[in-house]
Amino acid sequence: MIARLSVLLMLVCVVSALVLVHSQYESRRLFMALEVERKEATRIAIENDRLQVERRAQATPLRVEQIARQQLQMRMVSPAITQYVHVPQTPQAPEVRP
Amino acid sequence: MSRSVQLGSSPLLASKTPVWRSKLIVAAIALGFIGLIGRAAYVQVIENDFFKRQGEVRFARTLVLPANRGRILDRNGLLLASSVPAPSIWANPEDMERDPAKLRQLARLLGMSMAELEKKLQDEDKTFVWLRRQLDEPVAREILALDIKGVYSIKEYKRLYPEGEAAAHVVGFTNVEDQGQEGVELVFQKALSGKSGSRRVIKDRLGRVVEAVGEEVPPEDGQDIQLSIDSKVQFFAYQKLREAVQEHKAKAGSVVVLDAQSGEVLALANYPSYSPNKRVNLSGEQLRNRALTDTFEPGSTMKPFPVALALEKRLVRPETPIQTAPGRITITGSTITDAHPHGVLSVSEVIQKSSNVGTVKLAMQMEARELWEMYSAVGFGQKPQVPFPGVVSGRLRPYKTWRPIEQATMSYGYGISGSLFQVARAYTVFARDGEIVPATLLKTDQQVAGVRVFSADNARAVRKMLGMAAAPGGTAPKAQTIGYSVGGKTGTARKQEGKGYAGKKYRGFFVGMAPIEQPRIVVAVMIDEPGNGRYYGGEVAAPVFSTTVQQTLRLLGIQPDLSVKPQVVAEAVEESF
Repeated sequence: MIARLSVLLMLVCVVSALVLVHSQYESRRLFMALEVERKEATRIAIENDRLQVERRAQATPLRVEQIARQQLQMRMVSPAITQYVHVPQTPQAPEVRP
Repeated sequence: MSRSVQLGSSPLLASKTPVWRSKLIVAAIALGFIGLIGRAAYVQVIENDFFKRQGEVRFARTLVLPANRGRILDRNGLLLASSVPAPSIWANPEDMERDPAKLRQLARLLGMSMAELEKKLQDEDKTFVWLRRQLDEPVAREILALDIKGVYSIKEYKRLYPEGEAAAHVVGFTNVEDQGQEGVELVFQKALSGKSGSRRVIKDRLGRVVEAVGEEVPPEDGQDIQLSIDSKVQFFAYQKLREAVQEHKAKAGSVVVLDAQSGEVLALANYPSYSPNKRVNLSGEQLRNRALTDTFEPGSTMKPFPVALALEKRLVRPETPIQTAPGRITITGSTITDAHPHGVLSVSEVIQKSSNVGTVKLAMQMEARELWEMYSAVGFGQKPQVPFPGVVSGRLRPYKTWRPIEQATMSYGYGISGSLFQVARAYTVFARDGEIVPATLLKTDQQVAGVRVFSADNARAVRKMLGMAAAPGGTAPKAQTIGYSVGGKTGTARKQEGKGYAGKKYRGFFVGMAPIEQPRIVVAVMIDEPGNGRYYGGEVAAPVFSTTVQQTLRLLGIQPDLSVKPQVVAEAVEESF
């Protein structure tokens, strides 16, 4: 009886050891995958920064003005060519109904 | 016949084994185990620490987690400076692959000639040579794709300044190591750079991270710094300044735009400037932030201050007549003259016509101490409280050492000095009804408390005089702008050279505010050494003021306070159908 029990316990022990090894392997594999995704996230964040700078560089006042003047034939606004719309002061913004 | 082995009758089994043999084997095995147990105890108990450490050295690595440098933003959150990755390429000439075809491609991608590249790689004893620092990322990727042995890349960051030269003096720049060198980049270096973090990891044979060990210290990214600068106002101010400096063949120029209510700097530009993205052959002339670091005698732009003090001390009222004929006055042997002699002028007209004699007559009625206190209160001789490298305090000598002639000349801006920034800030005292506020480069949303220098009535009275000076009949009708009422004071000062004054070198100023009833902005313009014949502040600086005010108020969304003859075609012709 005792002998059988010890064989059983030994089997359980071996199985548990195998499971441990497997889960350790699995955890490292998942960790690696996480690392890869993290790196990707950083890369995308950096790319985002870079694109923002680029967008800003494309929309500097200098460039906007040049294009507006030369390609779109626009000119500077002045109060002489501006019509001011007076919105009556109301305590609450009027409700917008669809 | 059958061939079979008689196992039962092996001669080997027949002989009797001596007992000592089995005992020897058992003893040997036991000894082996004892040896193993001893070794296990040695490794796991006695010298455990040593082996643990040795193990870690072989698979654990500390990775530095670099912090990102903070961005610099304008008041509307637009980028003024930001970091982007820019890999640097280096080579190890000692064991580099030298395939001519590949090297030619490499040279092309690096943007250098084959000879240049070969020169860099010439010394084969070296193990490290920079080929090119801070390349654009796509180019670096192409270089690595060439797969040349002995060519590597390092991750580095490059600072980009989309606003370019317009905001260069305010924003400053960093060096190749990402350390601030000038301007805001230098002043806020600590806050911008952040703190890099670290983590311990276990790497496998292929260098992949497989496990994290212990606590990770996350990097603290640098803070974003939001300035009070409005990049559009900044751009227009810079553009108009540049045009004026070029038109008048001047040496340099500066412009400062302050929010009159909060003291925030909306724009601060100097010309000549430089492009912070491409810094080659920079000269000190280009680098200097003149508006903050150069002091000069402000000339006639000083006059409103002693006049305001005279009103404050109830010595005169705006309409009190003052005899300025015959256009000169002698004080302890020195004669002070007016450019154009006037007769009897009211106090208001003294400012409007910018009469030296009238101002001096008022200043001499006051005590030196009173004047000194007022000059100090509006910021002369005091370092402006803006965090900036090289900010100067100007010169205001202690009143006990003033001679009478100095008290007189100071009232019209000689013998006292300050930066354009100081002069602009001093004028907020008139714009804010007699209170002066500290100027700031950082965006503030709170109400700022000012320090009262003049009473509100007197400040308004001076503002009215400033309005007259910018009107027809004043010294600077060119300061006027469509739709907005303006007021301000011109100044034309001879430049100091060595001990005396230079013969034909001038500075032209205009400092003013708009709209004059409820000022929102204070604008100060300085043009250094106009060389085209015209040098009066009202001629060279006032037009810059006019266009800057026009654009700034429009951008701030302030309605014109003067009626304008509209040129708008309000009614469109109806389409016929």
